[in-house]
Amino acid sequence: MNVDIVDPRLDPEPPGWADFAGALRLHPVWRYPLLRLEAWTARNPPVLAVVRQDGRVVGGLQVMICRSWRTSRFGPPPRRLGRWRPRWAEVYLPLHSGYPAAVFRSGVDLRAAIREFERALADRIGPGLLGVLYRAMTADLADAMSGPGRARREIDPAAVLRPPATVDEWWAGLDDEVRSTIDAVEADPRVCTDIGAGRRDLDATELAALLNAHRARQDARAWAGGQRSRFAGLHMDTRSPVSPAYLDALLRRPNVLTRTYRTPSGRLLGFATMIDERHPAAFHHWAAVSRADGGRPGLHRHAYAQAVTRAIERGVSELTAGRAMLDEKAALGFRGTRALHTVAAPRPLLSGGPVLADRLQRTGTPAGDATGHHRKRMGSTT
Amino acid sequence: MWNSLASRLWRAAYLRAVSSAFATVPLYRETWALHGRTDPVLVPDRTGSNGGALAADTVQRRLVDTAPLAGGSTEPDPARGLAGLLTHATQRRSHRLVVVVDAAVTRPPTGLPSGSRGCVLHPDAATPLDDGPVLREIVDTLRRGERVLAVGEDKNLDALSAALRSAEPPTELPPPDRVPHHRIDSLTGGPFGLLHDPLLGYLGVLRDCGRWHVDCRHVYVRETTGGLAFTVLDRTSPRLVDVLVGGGVPGEVQACPRHGSPVIET
Repeated sequence: MNVDIVDPRLDPEPPGWADFAGALRLHPVWRYPLLRLEAWTARNPPVLAVVRQDGRVVGGLQVMICRSWRTSRFGPPPRRLGRWRPRWAEVYLPLHSGYPAAVFRSGVDLRAAIREFERALADRIGPGLLGVLYRAMTADLADAMSGPGRARREIDPAAVLRPPATVDEWWAGLDDEVRSTIDAVEADPRVCTDIGAGRRDLDATELAALLNAHRARQDARAWAGGQRSRFAGLHMDTRSPVSPAYLDALLRRPNVLTRTYRTPSGRLLGFATMIDERHPAAFHHWAAVSRADGGRPGLHRHAYAQAVTRAIERGVSELTAGRAMLDEKAALGFRGTRALHTVAAPRPLLSGGPVLADRLQRTGTPAGDATGHHRKRMGSTT
Repeated sequence: MWNSLASRLWRAAYLRAVSSAFATVPLYRETWALHGRTDPVLVPDRTGSNGGALAADTVQRRLVDTAPLAGGSTEPDPARGLAGLLTHATQRRSHRLVVVVDAAVTRPPTGLPSGSRGCVLHPDAATPLDDGPVLREIVDTLRRGERVLAVGEDKNLDALSAALRSAEPPTELPPPDRVPHHRIDSLTGGPFGLLHDPLLGYLGVLRDCGRWHVDCRHVYVRETTGGLAFTVLDRTSPRLVDVLVGGGVPGEVQACPRHGSPVIET
């Protein structure tokens, strides 16, 4: 097994990656052209780690190389990355945070893959790598990333709906108040809505501005409410604004449904995107104008209801809806959750790191072996 | 004297603006990283179109992305740069009142010399029937024998003059000084004039040599295949770099043989 780390900004798409993403029906955030757009317009740009076994792609991880939580600069060009400059890595999908940023074919030895990934990453980043933070991992992935000395904690889960057989069945399970809100939006002549897949008729600049404003508002509310990611009083946010170029490319994908809400005069009130896959589908982005700026109440409920209807009609196995506002989502039928975990691996504990990792491996990692530290780095094959 | 050093400093200020915009401003990051630019090339092998310059319409539509990541205003100042150009635009050193008559200018010019005040007058209010506060202030200032400078398009300045001639009560008012401003695609020969764009503000001035001088302390201009591209050097937000004003007007940047400073010829 070996791991190649590519920078989507300048490196060509790795051979076999498109086939891998297609075979596993990965969501659009894993598509290389989108990854490239995201990387160029990110404060902490992601790189892609491609895990191969006998030359075949068997897994991938998206890794944000972070310089700061509060930097107001985009990521520097790759050539300027100094190997001694302190940085850390976050295995995380900032635009799809209910899903882990690590995917593997079934049957892959996850521990071995993670070990190789950490070696390759340490080699790529250099001595400045402070550690790796695996964020929003499912339990099986978190188990493979955990080990002695590595902090692990459960974070806010992702909302999940396992669609019932019929729309009527789902509708009957909603509260009267939720149903009346959805009906009111449906009947409101001041709200016009349309939907389509692979849309090219939308102004991504307008949508991105609304989305970024919505995210900023939500972040401020979460911060005021003492969000769980707060650590030692620091506001640690490694994400970046969504760029119009990225959003435009996302909306043009055939498996992305976009619904917009406008006034009869054409003013944008809100929009939602849904990843229209069967296993699983995802309610992806939601943004709306605030009530103070003339927004309409209840649009989000209508958008979720339409997504659920679509999911039921398509017979999807699961519809997910992100990690925020779980109570509100539960009222819309998203009563299931998927537990997510974060694992922190400081540099001394990384595979391929200095002495401490080797000692800890020998003194009792559950499934670890003691050979990692001495193995040849980057590109090594097991 | 527009010597080699001054030229290099001007160029260095522009390069700093480009570098900073690429590193911190979403619009330029996206445009130059994904499509490219020239002079300088920032991403190898990506040279983009029009040398990376953007049409003013595009920038106007994406003003929200012209604020740096750290935050800032996204509201352009159409009166930006006026104060610094007035000394070259008129023969008088100062005026008690500077009036900008233009629908696009909604805020008074700032940075005027001490003793001068600025105000704006919407062209629709420059009529004999209007009794608005700005028109009253202009009349009162003229009646006190103090100087008033009116800046705007010729037709708007004519309308203001007509409104002042019919001011009540009827008295013989001295006419205000006037400096017309022009868009880059309608530059005339003077004797006075300012180069104006509603997005970038005041960019240059027609000097006594008869050439259009760029406000080189605050503005950089370069030739691109799409036309002359202007950069506001000293405004942090909204950041306006390499903007093709007037839809992209072809032209040349030269040094004025008399003053030595950069001039444009369209």
